[in-house]
Amino acid sequence: MSTLDARRLVLRNDLAELQRLAGWIEDWARRDVSPDTSFALALCLEETVANVIMYGAAEHDRLEIVVELERNGGTLVARVEDTGRPFDPTRVPPPAAAASLAEAKVGDLGIHLVRSFASGMTYERRNGRNRLTLRFDESQARLSG
Amino acid sequence: MDIAVEEIAGGITKVVLRGRFDTTGAVVVELPFNKIVTEKRKIMVDLSAVSFLASYAIRVLLVGAKIVNGKGGKLAILCPENNVSKVLKTAGMDALIPIHRTESAATAALES
Repeated sequence: MSTLDARRLVLRNDLAELQRLAGWIEDWARRDVSPDTSFALALCLEETVANVIMYGAAEHDRLEIVVELERNGGTLVARVEDTGRPFDPTRVPPPAAAASLAEAKVGDLGIHLVRSFASGMTYERRNGRNRLTLRFDESQARLSG
Repeated sequence: MDIAVEEIAGGITKVVLRGRFDTTGAVVVELPFNKIVTEKRKIMVDLSAVSFLASYAIRVLLVGAKIVNGKGGKLAILCPENNVSKVLKTAGMDALIPIHRTESAATAALES
């Protein structure tokens, strides 16, 4: 598999880092990525990294979160690796639909959004790190209509 | 992320949000937004100028709608068809909070 273009960003587990992540994705996406794919990429990475920051470690523990992007033809691949507690988002069941506003549960939507806006999602735990790989197929219009 | 509030005809409070309604933006507007939904009964949340929506933003909207609904009021979202609208639908919000494409439709729903 030939890798044409790759980039890497290292973040700490601090919510302020999400702004740095957003700016970085925007710069990257400016280069020949469709607006819809750019939106999906930004959404999925924001949700994934925010989850790691909020739940990956006890309050004062430091984590390293590494985000890598690469383009391979019409596919964008985003990889998020973190040193936090083991967590496999692919095993989280989709949220149940609420019957009414009063019964609607608040929260737990992030992973559902990632699953819906990415073309594919795989997880592995390796060398004490969580590694989530997200794929975005430019040719395939996601959630069209 | 900016938040502006305006009282419009029909006793409706229009809340205009602008910018990236991401996690950072949601943290910024959460407190002022909660204050509005606590005080008002007919609320139109205008997301037309919102370019991005994350799950934390949906949490803020959902909590707001629950508060308004709980006291017999109404909250409607004004949002054109775009990626922000897709996020709302994917999250199942369209089944819980009325989402309208035009201000006149949102106004009619709030006045009914």
